[in-house]
Amino acid sequence: MQTLIYFILVPMVYIAFAVFFIGTVIRLIKIFRQPRHPSTLQIFPEKKPTWLWALHDTFLFPSVRRHKPVLWVFLLLFHVALLLLIIGHLELLGEFKIFQIIPHDVFLGQGYVGLILSLALLYFLFRRFVSPVRELSVPEDYYLLILLFLIVLFGSEMDWARRWYGYEEMTVDDYQTYLLSLLYLKPDLPEAVTDYGHSFMLVLHVFFANLFLLFFPFSQSMHSFLSLPMNKLRRG
Amino acid sequence: MDQKTRDDLLLLFKSKLNEAMTFYLETCTRCGVCTEACHVYASMGQVKYIAAYRAEIIRRLYKKYFKARGKVWPTVGEAKELTEMAVEELFEAAYSCTGCRRCMVYCPFGIDTQMIMSIAKLLLIGANAEPEILTLLADTSITKGKSFELFKEGFFDGIKRLEAEVVQKWQMEAGETAITVDVPGADLLYVALAGAHSIIPAAAVFNAAGENWTLSFFEAVNFGAFVGDPTKTKLILDRIINEAKRLKVKEVCICECGTAFRVMKQLSGKQPFKVTSITEVHARYLREGRIKLDKTKLNGAATYHDPCQIARNGGVMDEPRYILRHLTDDFREMTPDPKYNWCCGGGGGLVALGEDTLDFRMKSARVKVDQVTATGAAVLTTACENCHTQLSNLNDHYKMGVKVEFLSSMVADALRR
Repeated sequence: MQTLIYFILVPMVYIAFAVFFIGTVIRLIKIFRQPRHPSTLQIFPEKKPTWLWALHDTFLFPSVRRHKPVLWVFLLLFHVALLLLIIGHLELLGEFKIFQIIPHDVFLGQGYVGLILSLALLYFLFRRFVSPVRELSVPEDYYLLILLFLIVLFGSEMDWARRWYGYEEMTVDDYQTYLLSLLYLKPDLPEAVTDYGHSFMLVLHVFFANLFLLFFPFSQSMHSFLSLPMNKLRRG
Repeated sequence: MDQKTRDDLLLLFKSKLNEAMTFYLETCTRCGVCTEACHVYASMGQVKYIAAYRAEIIRRLYKKYFKARGKVWPTVGEAKELTEMAVEELFEAAYSCTGCRRCMVYCPFGIDTQMIMSIAKLLLIGANAEPEILTLLADTSITKGKSFELFKEGFFDGIKRLEAEVVQKWQMEAGETAITVDVPGADLLYVALAGAHSIIPAAAVFNAAGENWTLSFFEAVNFGAFVGDPTKTKLILDRIINEAKRLKVKEVCICECGTAFRVMKQLSGKQPFKVTSITEVHARYLREGRIKLDKTKLNGAATYHDPCQIARNGGVMDEPRYILRHLTDDFREMTPDPKYNWCCGGGGGLVALGEDTLDFRMKSARVKVDQVTATGAAVLTTACENCHTQLSNLNDHYKMGVKVEFLSSMVADALRR
């Protein structure tokens, strides 16, 4: 069991990050090195400046707001919460002055960010059970949502346990030690991370996150990088 | 399907993969926001007509043959083998899509379903499964381009016979020619369709505006684009580009044909002439006071159907409304925002396929009929041949009781001194 935990928490993390970074970069280079489309793909009427409207379309999803307002609320909540959690994880690696403009304990949002994210993911998942989105969906869509839900659930549970139930055995410092040791290529697993009662949350969180990172460059998640250039094409 | 055929088809597929196409094929999250965008789905309610579903038919082949996933883990994206059955599915998807790009307005990423469908159309050509008539028409256009000397005499005779009708609409000074052809150094080259209705009104308006114009030998319509053959599209387009260069015109004006306008405007590249639609030219004449219109000629309320390739995809939206304000005091919009206008249901070669697609065209455009009826207008104007034919068919089929008119003809009929 210890070997398995070690594999998930150390070598698998390295493999996952390598695949994620190298895979994403190579795929993006390959995509962007292809010849441009010879003619415009613009939709009219044109609004200027087009790059600003492309940013607007990419980050605020106005077409979803107009046609599927409920989905839009969840989409926006999901993406904002995701951003906040990415910031939270970066803060585990060190102090970023810019993120502390609004002073907060590490993992901002007092556990509610994770809660919102899991609810949004459940909404995305359940709406895929209903026609016509059901007929449009392919297994990939479900895998990604389930994977993300599991990641968020186990990740947030660690946060919730500390914040809402006064569980003090595994602290932010413990993850920090673990994560920094990985970053400095001197893997170190504190006792709190592997042996205490709630360590399975961390192990499962990391395990599912690894799976997600491994799949990311080959999945529709690449829309995170492609959405802006596509919206720019539409705006002209 | 044997290996050789499949490989050939996959080469065709590959030829369509550029940066934008890869964006479109990689990105869809199947969120379903495009569900209500397609007039066919809105009218018929079958899932196979949702934009994302159509695109997924191509995407499944892409995942099978152009992504490593297709070999390692094909089921995750439901990657699909290219078989005879898949070809049938491609036909169904491509020839029920009019290429109106309304779904592109809905998509949070801006995926261009028309462009994805162009892969399907090219594969169908490769599999000899495309509608033959479209290829035949495209080939005829190309032949005419190659040996137009042969057609010249017949063309001149035909034009001569139309001149009297042009003069009926606009009396010219003695000694002036009503329809000028092959005039080097003319300012404007007008590219019409094969049909008097596309030439007579246009000529009358040009003459009234005192335009130094000349009529193209060639018809504007590009059947190569309908059938989705890039080579033929280019050949058909080049006939007109070469003629414009030879005559050294400053402007190429495309008649009321959506495909012809968009292909000419967006695919001709950088040229010494500008490309305009006849609607833009008429609006310009009005703005400059070169023509005047009589508001009493149009009876009843009028509405305007924005041809997808001219408005949403070509950017000509204000001009027809400007013209209509000179034709009537009772102009009614179909939608508050023209980019959301429903397609008439006749684009993408469907009207050119005539009776074969009539039943589908009528069923799939019910939402268009509702949209027109809701305006309560008596006159339904448009600026595209395909739309005009389809709207006329709808008018008969659904007994809408409107008058379907070309905008340019209405301008010609309302000309005053």
